[in-house]
Amino acid sequence: MRFAFDDQPVDYVDGDSVAVAVLRSGAHPQHGGSLCLTGDCGSCSADVDGVPFIRTCLTPARPGLRVRRHPAVGGPPLQLDPPKNPVQSPVHAGVEVHRRHVDVAVIGAGRSGTAEAERLRSAGCEVFVLDSGNGHDVVGVYPGPLVVVRTPQHMLHVHAHEVVIATGAAEVHPVCEGNMLRGILLSGAADLLRERGVDLGNTVTVDITELASFEGLDGTVSHVVFSDGRREACDTAIVTSPTKAPRDLLARMVSDPNVRVVGPAAERFELPPPPVAGFVCPCSKITVGDLQMVWDKGFQHLELVKRAALCGTGTCQGGVCMPHLRSFVSDRQGSEAAPFTGRPASRQLTIAEAAADVFLDPFRRSALHNEHLKLGAQMDRFGGWWRPWNYGDFMREYWAVREGVSLGDVSTLGKMIVTGPDVVEALERLYPTTIADIRPGRSRYVLLLNERGHLIDDGMVCRESDDRFVLTFTSGGAAFAEAWVRDWVDTWGLDVRIMDRTISHGAINVTGPLAGALLQRVGVADPPKFLQHRHAAVAGIDCHIMRLSFTGEASFELHHPVAPSVELWQALMEAGRDMTVMPHGLQALFALRLEKGHVIVGIDTELDSTPRRLNMDWAVKMDKPDFVGRTALARTADLADHRRLFGFTMDGPAPTEGAPIYVGDRIVGHVASTFTSPVIGKAVMLGWQKHSPWVDSVTIDGRTATVAHTPFFDPEGARARA
Amino acid sequence: MHAPERLDGLRIVATPEALEHAYYEGDVVVLRIAHDEVFAIGAVAAEVPDEHAILERETAFVGWGLTSAEFDRLIARHVEWQLPAHRPSLAQGLAAGMPVKLWFDHDRVLLVVSSGLAHEAAARFGLPEFRHETGTRA
Repeated sequence: MRFAFDDQPVDYVDGDSVAVAVLRSGAHPQHGGSLCLTGDCGSCSADVDGVPFIRTCLTPARPGLRVRRHPAVGGPPLQLDPPKNPVQSPVHAGVEVHRRHVDVAVIGAGRSGTAEAERLRSAGCEVFVLDSGNGHDVVGVYPGPLVVVRTPQHMLHVHAHEVVIATGAAEVHPVCEGNMLRGILLSGAADLLRERGVDLGNTVTVDITELASFEGLDGTVSHVVFSDGRREACDTAIVTSPTKAPRDLLARMVSDPNVRVVGPAAERFELPPPPVAGFVCPCSKITVGDLQMVWDKGFQHLELVKRAALCGTGTCQGGVCMPHLRSFVSDRQGSEAAPFTGRPASRQLTIAEAAADVFLDPFRRSALHNEHLKLGAQMDRFGGWWRPWNYGDFMREYWAVREGVSLGDVSTLGKMIVTGPDVVEALERLYPTTIADIRPGRSRYVLLLNERGHLIDDGMVCRESDDRFVLTFTSGGAAFAEAWVRDWVDTWGLDVRIMDRTISHGAINVTGPLAGALLQRVGVADPPKFLQHRHAAVAGIDCHIMRLSFTGEASFELHHPVAPSVELWQALMEAGRDMTVMPHGLQALFALRLEKGHVIVGIDTELDSTPRRLNMDWAVKMDKPDFVGRTALARTADLADHRRLFGFTMDGPAPTEGAPIYVGDRIVGHVASTFTSPVIGKAVMLGWQKHSPWVDSVTIDGRTATVAHTPFFDPEGARARA
Repeated sequence: MHAPERLDGLRIVATPEALEHAYYEGDVVVLRIAHDEVFAIGAVAAEVPDEHAILERETAFVGWGLTSAEFDRLIARHVEWQLPAHRPSLAQGLAAGMPVKLWFDHDRVLLVVSSGLAHEAAARFGLPEFRHETGTRA
């Protein structure tokens, strides 16, 4: 029976691992280094059937295997086979995830694990024992607790009420001059090879505490040098250690009260003497000299030494180097260094294994998605939704809004119904605007602030009756806003009913000078006035019509149950055919609203944008007794503030969004939104000045830009109210 | 496998006590999706003893009716959490990285997904596609 090792045939005996067969052939699975043959070190890892970093001591030999050593210097080459279209291929083929739910998962089938499993079973627990010898390679332990396991066939997720780590202890590898030679075995490895009938030749056994160095010839060990000066010739050096190091990598991965460690894995052990020469980390080829160099540069903590030298970040994740690294640091800092934090994965995974049953965040489609595609829309992802960016010519869409009538799909807006005896009180506390004086049938633009007075969202409050309101939020902020509202209402203990309608209602914005006329054609004889709203049938479909304006033109948002969304859209398109009605995408919408100076939360705002910084103090009523953020706004009202969002105009084309704003040679801020406005005849921008005193003239894109009042277009708002 | 259907019904928010005593007209499957909220599939009207209750027609969910074998083959392997053992029962959570509701009837399972994510459900679980225009198989 044979397999291929570096393209040469290697014979094996039934029951051999790949590493044993390779060693029997006289070769080394790598180019040298001490071997444990228990899966603790990475010195036998190789490329097996195209998958690198496979521990060959745990890989049963079988016919047809193709095993290759990693390069002596550097890592194995990456083998990338990217999917043709990762965005459109959400399903990972290849590796499945199986799942098990048990009372207790015991990791390790050695003496301590077996004893613990028997004790738990006798207590009536369902116990699942995981051990690499049974094909269960534990990759990591996560909070939950969850144990992630690789098996030869699939990945396995074990959800247990309790996890017991019984991984035992491992022999300590030698670190000294010559420790990367071939022919160095830990005593357990030597015993195994002898059991398997491998001829080790002339052997010399040395206790690690008595070891000075190894000497070699042509890369293979030839002599063992003892600390008392003895020098003995050998074909194989066998290293013993008086104590074993706990295999506690998995235990160091998670802090969970339902994860415990038993047996030798939980025991303290005596650190070896501080290393003075040789490779501490065979996986990453880190020497004692490398450790000393980073220590001398000031990385004088175990975690820092690890990160600076990369010692412990290789294949074995500290299995070999941890005792010596701790000893090195303990010696220099004068106290015993605790082990570094363990992090999954403890075993190398293929990309397919790591990605098994992992999916991209899903992006929703509005009910009108296919209508957009039929109209030639370029779809893009915004705020968790697929949305039309444009329909091929965004300036045509822009002019349709400014001069005629256009439809926008705003189904993605956050929407919520709130009722209850305490609903007015709740909204007064949530919003910095006065709510109680909104009359039924009227609506108001509102900001949503956090406790620090920073803007987190905005939207509309529409009052339907004394105790019923409809709230809207931004598309991207809707999910957070829902949680925000629910959390505060619960916190305050107010009697309020909350129903999120974001996915339930579609919404179409009919906007432009001819918007009212179009609505009349589809059955709305008397469209609502500016900031009014009411329920009415539109083309026979029940709609909640909200009159507002984000585009600067007369705008009617038609909120409706999502089922007839396509029907409503098609009816509006058909009714406005002779008005040359057309849809507009986000690109046109962003330009239209910028001419009006309307901010978009998350584009023009920053995480610490207060109403004052946004020039939106008008939307805050500090004479209210309380609202979320009021305390912070009151406390900071008289403090100097150096940040302010300004409107700018300048001749020529609009600069790139994000362009730096200069005063002289100094960058004082950046441009948040830009558009070359045909109705203003200039580039219009919103941008930040973050250093006072603020100035009226700045340099953007090498040109002079001037602070300008917003709205840039139709400052009286006559068009929106028309 | 049956084609996906748009689930038409009532979404109701009310006090938990009121929901316990609600009365629904029609052949209704009531999914208790929160302590204060139900989705009553098939309901056209309901009486809820809470004067502030919110009752709204709900058409934003799509359902795939599956046999137990189909569920095991297509869906269960993407569910990280423990499935309920008793029937009937409702379970909610992530499956294949997306939010789903699972209604376990005696011998069938109804997979409920918001219509905005129906395309992802079809792709991720290998199910027939849903079309907004018709509510039937593509």
